[in-house]
Amino acid sequence: MHILNYIRGGITLIEVKNVTKKYGNFTAVDNISFDVKDGEIVGLLGPNGAGKSTTMNMITGFIEMTEGEISVNGYDISKKPSKAKKQIGYMPEGVPSYQELTAKEFIKYMAELKLVDRKIRKEQVQEVIKQTGLEEVQNKLIKNLSRGYKQRVSMAGALVGDPDVLILDEPTVGLDPKQILEIRNLIKELGKNHTIILSSHILSEVSQICERVVIINKGKIVAVDTPENLEEKSKNKNILYVTVEDKNEKMLSIKDKLKDIQELEFIKDNEDGTKQYKIVSEEKVDLRKKLFEILPKEDITIFELKKAEVSLEDAFMKLIDDSKNVENIKESKKEEITKSEDNEQIKKVEEIENIPNEIRIKTTNKEDEDMTQKQEKGGKE
Amino acid sequence: MWAIIKKEVKTYFLSPIGYIFIGIFLIAFSISFNLELNYSYGVIDFKNIFIYIFTYLPTILVFAFLIPMLTMRSFAEERKNGTEQLLLTSPVSITKIVLAKFISALIIVLIALLFTLMFVAIISFFGTPDIPSALVTLLGFTLLCMAYISFGIFASSLTENQIIAAMISIVTFVITWVLPEFIKQGSSFSLINMFYKFTTGQIDIAYTITYLAFTVLCLVLTITVMQRRKSAK
Repeated sequence: MHILNYIRGGITLIEVKNVTKKYGNFTAVDNISFDVKDGEIVGLLGPNGAGKSTTMNMITGFIEMTEGEISVNGYDISKKPSKAKKQIGYMPEGVPSYQELTAKEFIKYMAELKLVDRKIRKEQVQEVIKQTGLEEVQNKLIKNLSRGYKQRVSMAGALVGDPDVLILDEPTVGLDPKQILEIRNLIKELGKNHTIILSSHILSEVSQICERVVIINKGKIVAVDTPENLEEKSKNKNILYVTVEDKNEKMLSIKDKLKDIQELEFIKDNEDGTKQYKIVSEEKVDLRKKLFEILPKEDITIFELKKAEVSLEDAFMKLIDDSKNVENIKESKKEEITKSEDNEQIKKVEEIENIPNEIRIKTTNKEDEDMTQKQEKGGKE
Repeated sequence: MWAIIKKEVKTYFLSPIGYIFIGIFLIAFSISFNLELNYSYGVIDFKNIFIYIFTYLPTILVFAFLIPMLTMRSFAEERKNGTEQLLLTSPVSITKIVLAKFISALIIVLIALLFTLMFVAIISFFGTPDIPSALVTLLGFTLLCMAYISFGIFASSLTENQIIAAMISIVTFVITWVLPEFIKQGSSFSLINMFYKFTTGQIDIAYTITYLAFTVLCLVLTITVMQRRKSAK
């Protein structure tokens, strides 16, 4: 193992520098740069078709980039592919494997492909089988294994040869909840002595496993930060959801009585005659206590009062929406400029362009609806 | 590289293809042997009978159809199943991967050819075969097979559909076999006609080089295709 592994968390292991990938006129990955430090678990997050797999395929040397540089542990993937590839264990999307081989044969073959020394090969194969929990099925044909085990076999194939870097493309796709949990724990366990890049479009997964998140949308990096910071950034309002029985239709008048309420909005009628409202206030103001005091006085019965947790999901949606909005605004503003040639507007556009990752709140009605639906789902779970 | 060769040869026999290949080849070979015996009107030329078998239609024809069957899966299947990703992200270079695929298919052919020595044994029981000429014939046939295999692998690298890969090879083989018959002077360009020269018991250096050059050309083309696909994917 690399000696630098003992000094963890300072050395840049993977460096992606101004990488662009074009297919004809279509730009799949657009000038992205990020690095991964030794021992980190980094999540590549983005909607389907954002360029996550393309990025991973470029890091592993499966496809060549149109422009830019990628180095793994100091080896340039284009110039020294063999050495760079030796540092990487790759689990591609869709967990491809040779169906006609048994799990053990496949892992052994992968070990041979990775040029693992003959002396330690057998031992390593056994170790990896144990690590991924494949002991019971190691002699079964891969085609007869369940999806979860196939995933493990693929993971074992990536693990064998003890690479410093593990690249896992959508490692939990297609698994049942129990298997997802198992694979996640396995990744966490592996993260203790490996540097891991994993891609996902499941946000909760990334926030649970990863120390840092790279959010990609339409081939561009939208944000790079820790999951906590991303959540923190999108949290600058306090949102409450309250379900009440309000026979006298007094709910909307509450806003005049409680001055801290910035926004009070009717969301929907429930089947049982209750109504759901959304109450927005400043971040530091917690209205819950006051609501419990005031509402009964107005003959309003509270059935449910819920604080909206700002999750990574919201941060993600916002970032992606924002990157769309910036584009839209840019376009529309530019049109106006060409019409009026107003200098001030040019400045404005430049300002917008200069705020790439900052999160601006634009609460539209549609977003609120999404939010309530999410809340409900969360509640049911 | 050895790992890939080992695994490829193994998968030829894990799927029925390896057995089918050797089986059909030996059946065709036996039919040729039988035809030779039946049409020699009692005067059996034990000296050259083994060589004649190779020049019979079934032997040649079967190879034009069987070799594509052997090579069609080499890259097409990997691409379709996505295992290509495992192969190309391993530290093994593309050149070695292509060579490994070529050698493993050649091993299957050599196994089949090894079985034909059984006929030599049968013949020597009744007469004295011309062993050196027989060996030269086998060498010529191996060279022909190498040319076919390399083209088959090239065809397989062009597509992810095994059937298309096989069709490309079969059509090409049949064309290179039939077409020269219709063109004046064309016969010297036919891979199969070159092989007939070997059946006379002479190792023709020019033809040997032509076969090897054709093989290398196809393999280089395959490597180029694989490398170019890397930036086009």
